Amino acid sequence: MATRARPGASAAEAGARPAGAAGRRRRSGQLAQEERFAWLLASPSLVVLGLMTTLPLLVLVGMSTFRLDLAAPFRNRWIGLDNYARMLGDARFLEGLWITAVYTVVTVVLQVVLGLALALAFFRLRRGMGALQVVVLLPMILAPIVVGLAWKTLMLTQLYGLVDYAAILLGVGSRPWLTDPTLALVSVIVIHTWQWTPFAFLVFLASLYALPPEPFEAAMIDRANAWQVFRYLTLPMLRPAIFIVVIFRTMIALRAFEGIFATTGGGPGTATEILNLYAYRVSFNSLTLGYGAALGTVLLVLTTLTSAVFFRLRREREAVPA
Amino acid sequence: MSWRRRRESRWARAATYLALATVLVLWAAPVLWTMVTSFKPHRDIFTVPPTFVFQPTLEHYRRALGLAGGRFIESSQGGIVPSIWNSVLVATATAGLSLLIAVPAGYAYARLRFRGRRPLAFYALFTQMAPPIGLLIPYFYFLNRAGLMDTYTGLTAVYLTFSVPFGIWLMITYFEELPRELEEAAAVDGAGRLATLWRIVLPQARGGVAVTAIFSFINAWNEFLYAAVLTGTESRTAPVALFGYISTEEHLWGPFTASGVMIMVPVVVIALLAQRQIVRGLTLGAVTGARRR
Repeated sequence: MATRARPGASAAEAGARPAGAAGRRRRSGQLAQEERFAWLLASPSLVVLGLMTTLPLLVLVGMSTFRLDLAAPFRNRWIGLDNYARMLGDARFLEGLWITAVYTVVTVVLQVVLGLALALAFFRLRRGMGALQVVVLLPMILAPIVVGLAWKTLMLTQLYGLVDYAAILLGVGSRPWLTDPTLALVSVIVIHTWQWTPFAFLVFLASLYALPPEPFEAAMIDRANAWQVFRYLTLPMLRPAIFIVVIFRTMIALRAFEGIFATTGGGPGTATEILNLYAYRVSFNSLTLGYGAALGTVLLVLTTLTSAVFFRLRREREAVPA
Repeated sequence: MSWRRRRESRWARAATYLALATVLVLWAAPVLWTMVTSFKPHRDIFTVPPTFVFQPTLEHYRRALGLAGGRFIESSQGGIVPSIWNSVLVATATAGLSLLIAVPAGYAYARLRFRGRRPLAFYALFTQMAPPIGLLIPYFYFLNRAGLMDTYTGLTAVYLTFSVPFGIWLMITYFEELPRELEEAAAVDGAGRLATLWRIVLPQARGGVAVTAIFSFINAWNEFLYAAVLTGTESRTAPVALFGYISTEEHLWGPFTASGVMIMVPVVVIALLAQRQIVRGLTLGAVTGARRR
């Protein structure tokens, strides 16, 4: 690539370099040339992202105004906002909205609390940090579907699963982890928390290492107890990190799919059917793409609104937005 | 005496290591148990209580690789092998193309002055937030129309939508860390911009390039949702094949775990080799974002 690209670059360079021009004109020429170079470098990504994300999202919104039933194509036609009207009376949609909210809020809170607890417990660790980092890395970088299936079979199967065995040992007894509606929701929340708490842990760990030592040394001299140090020093100083973790994890929880798809498939019934799963079933099992697109549009709006609220909150808290 | 090195009582230290052991066991168990199970004879898999001591066997691996006869993932010879090959192709193509597209863009957003720089960089960030299911529905429709359903090309193009924005943001942070003097010196020497980027800047940013390639590869390798809908018999990737298998042969945990291990091992190896870079890449946006306050 170097040899092919270089002649072009040096030609552009020569063209943009005004021989013997005044310093100011030369500077503006350089700027124009820098701008052209920047667009050249950025344009492939803009083409890809425009064609592969923005355009499909516009199409999605368009599709949501059609009846697009692949099983009965002769009835396909433009129906305006009928898909959205249908949603308001769709108990499964409303339930999915509620399950999504519960799933998102509970998993994010658990991740932040557990992640913070683990970071505080282990950041003074002298030995074993390497092993700890590798082990907690795995749930985040291994294929979610494989990990989800491993949970479903090896961990949660009644009698033969490790979790069920541990529950028997602990006196809880064997339970239908994935087939009881309440337990199934608890199980998928636990799996998501298991998978993503390491992220919060690693971020908090890095943030703890980056804290300035002086306030803590002063607190030691003042004989502050551990709770006071945590409540009045550590927690306030970690607030930006906590905020970032909440944003990142909420966005990820809103796009959760594999963990639930692999373990319960949204069931039993619709007990763990978050909106993503419902939209999937409507689109690719029932093949009613129009209604699926309307659900997808709602998800898009929800995601955008959530991130907008977060960024607004963040901007209010700080002078310099990142 | 620094507060970080505060002397702890023996009990506190014992409690810390006990907690460490618990966390290690809890977090490693599903993965370790998958590996253990893949070497268990079939009769030792379904026992109460679970069997921890057994005669290890490669039977399940032979079956998963299609060497033992027997059906594994019906309608395809060679067990999981063809789908692993599909995964290798798609993940490699995704990583290569992501580098070609994301590295130059990351450089432009990190270093060059031009109108629209910040909005465009944020555009790349925001495209990442689109719900995958919302993208999948139009892709399904498009690829059907374009005849790209069940092809490597279609799936790779779709994978660029998550690996390119991630790569751009990763590269921005790596380029921003480099000293500007590099380019200034090269400019004084009369080197062209592209030559400077290729010969001076990129060698310095090769760590970032490697991490971008690693993440693109791993994310494409692991992806399930898009592949489940957009591939069929020709280009089915390994995670999809595995899911199809365990859904129909629920009791065959042996070949399932053996195939699962084969899907996980490359990623585990990468994690061991590049642990620090991966931790940094995963938490990068979060840590720098929090620090910028």
